Parts: sequence; structure tokens; C-alpha cells
Amino acid sequence: MGSSQSTPKVTAHDRAILDLKLQRDKLKQYQKKIQVVLDREHEIAKAHLATGQKDRAVIALRRRKYQQSLLLKTDSQLENLEQLVSTIEFSLIEVSVLHGLKQGNEVLQEIHREMSIESVEKLMDETQEAREYQREIGDLLANRLTNDEEGAVQEELRALQAEALGQAEPEVRMDLPSPPSSLPLLSPPEGQGSSRLLRSRDPHISAEVQQTSPTTNREQVAMLG
Amino acid sequence: MALSTHTTPSGFLLPSIHSAPPFFTEQPNPNTQAHLTEQWIRLILTYARHRRLFILRVEDAEVPGGDWDEILRNERINRRVPPSYISSLMAGMIAKNVAVYEPPKQTRAVMLYWRLPEEWADVLHSWATATGQLNTILTFYEISDPPIPSPLSDIPIPLLRRAITILMRSNRAQIIGVADGEGVRFFAATK
Repeated sequence: MGSSQSTPKVTAHDRAILDLKLQRDKLKQYQKKIQVVLDREHEIAKAHLATGQKDRAVIALRRRKYQQSLLLKTDSQLENLEQLVSTIEFSLIEVSVLHGLKQGNEVLQEIHREMSIESVEKLMDETQEAREYQREIGDLLANRLTNDEEGAVQEELRALQAEALGQAEPEVRMDLPSPPSSLPLLSPPEGQGSSRLLRSRDPHISAEVQQTSPTTNREQVAMLG
Repeated sequence: MALSTHTTPSGFLLPSIHSAPPFFTEQPNPNTQAHLTEQWIRLILTYARHRRLFILRVEDAEVPGGDWDEILRNERINRRVPPSYISSLMAGMIAKNVAVYEPPKQTRAVMLYWRLPEEWADVLHSWATATGQLNTILTFYEISDPPIPSPLSDIPIPLLRRAITILMRSNRAQIIGVADGEGVRFFAATK
């Protein structure tokens, strides 16, 4: 029929399973037959009782009991058979699982053969070398930057950091001692008033006064902020 | 009396033509008869599908009490199909390939194809797939009388064998024979 190329061969296993299953079917059919007989005996017993033949009814019931025991026996046999069938089928599945594992293992070995430890080590060494080479190039390139440029870079970094810290900066300055708000020199002692007034225009003091203004400004800014 | 449809106790809806007395006798006009045969074949096949009947015998028309009483008899108009008419209807069905003589070499009983063997093959294969019984050896008895009712319950063994033969042609089944009987094993479709 040309069906031999893709359908698997019928093995002895298959025949054994089929045999078992056929036996099971036979038992099932036998049970059906007994069930029919059981029902029939029941009817017979009923009919005999109706006609008053009690002894005959008892005989029919006895026969029925015997058939019932047969049914029970076949039940246990059927159970045995079915257990055997499922055990065999399960073992076949186990065999196929084993086969699958074996194939998987072979594939894994094949892959490992292509990927031996030495070649991996060699590859890793090469990678390491390449990485070192790359770093050297990087270093060389980095060294091209002059010290000035490096300084500028650092300066820029600081500026960026300061910008990031911009918010916290004023509060640090707040700790500075505030300068005196009143000028005690405005009430001159008698006699020396002119010289004191002159001194009040001393650049040192005026600087002090000047210094107060930025702080107060800053305070205002901080209050606003 | 007016012709009307009628629902049988088994829940089958009989067509209105079933209440017409001439429907139960062969008509002399060949055109009329061809039309009636067509109607009868459709009725028999739909009823067979409804009741899952596979075999139609001439005897079913002769003796009351069979599975076919609901359509072969109409007590309301006191008509029944005569056995000779059933024989010619059987011949008509075989000519249309919707039935075969079963067992062969006699003309008293036919096996009805309310599903063609090709359709049965598909039903069989999808049942085996759906119940996870591919690659498992099954007995014919197990298929035709499964513990859980299936679309294949009560399928006659000759019809089952035909369906399996069709599956074998496409490598979807394999018959295993031993001294005691036969079994079948289904495979997944290769395409």
C-alpha cells in the first residue's frame, strides 16, 4: 500500500499490547453477557414467585448469585489487565523519554566537542589581550591632553558641581558674623569730633559699611527663596 | 386533511410530505418517482443521523417495533412503506453511493452512509487526536464501544474498517493484526 515508508514497523511490543487489549475487550464483552444473564435470572425469579413456585425462584436466585460472583471475579481480572496495559504503555513512554534524553545528551556532547575548554581559554585570552590593547590605546589618547586642558576640565567639573550645589550655597554664607548695624562713631566725644569724623571716612570703615550691604541683600534673597 | 410537519416522540421533525398518502407507494410516473425517491433518501439519512442508526433492513418495513417505525409508518394516515418499496429505495441509495449492502452479496440490509467513509475517517482521526490516542494501539471494540460516548459510539465495524483504510492511504493509520483480532494505531497527519 506504499504506507511502509513513514509508518513505524509493528513490533512484538505492539502485538503484545494489542493482545492484552483484545483480552480486555473480551472480558468486557463477557461482563456484558453476564449482566444480561443476571437480569434474566432476576426476571425468572420474579415470574416464579408470581406463580407461587418458591423453590424454583430460589434456584434462579442461586444461579444469579453465582453469576454475580463471576462478575466480581472478572472485575478483578479486568483490573489486573488494565493495570498491566497501562504499565506497559507507561513504560513505553519512559522508553521514549529515555530516548529523547539520550538524543539530547548526544547533541550536547556534539556542541561541547565544538566548544572545547582549550579553545574557550584561548578565546578568553585573546579577548583579554584585545581589551588590554584597547585600554592602552585609550591611555595613549588620554595622555594627548595637555595639563592646561586637564586643568580646564577640572575647572569645568567644579563649576558643574557648584551649579548642582547652588541651592545650598547661601545658607553656608549665613553663618558669617553680621557686621555691626550702628556706627558707634556717630556720637563723637568732645574735642576730638573732627578727627573722629575724619576717621569715619577712613577707607577701612567704609569698606566695612560696604560689606554689610551684600550680606543684607543675600539675606533678603534667602528669605525670598 | 392539510399536510403539516410532525414531531416524533424521539424529537425528529417529519416533513409535511410524510403526511401525504402517495408518498408511501411507488408512483408510475418515472419523474415523480425520481423526485419521491430523492425525498425518501434525504428523509432516511437525516433520520438515521438523528437516531444514529447505521443499518436499514427490509425487515424494518415488514415488522413493526423496529427503530425505523417513526418514518416507515404513519399511523395518522394509516400508511406504511411496503417492503418492495424499501428494496427499491435501497437500490436507489446504493446507486447514489450513500449506502452499501452490508453484509455484501445480499439485498435485505444496507449500511447507511449518513457520513461518507471519508467523513468518518476525519471524524475518527480528530477523535483520536482530541482524546490523545495517537500512537496508541486501539482495538476496534474500544473505538466502537468506548467507555465515554464518542462520535464513533456504535459505529459498525465494516464502516470503521473503511474509514481506517482511507486513513491508511494518507499514512494516518496502521492496522496491526494478531491471531486473536486486529487493532489500529493512528498517527499525526504528516502534512
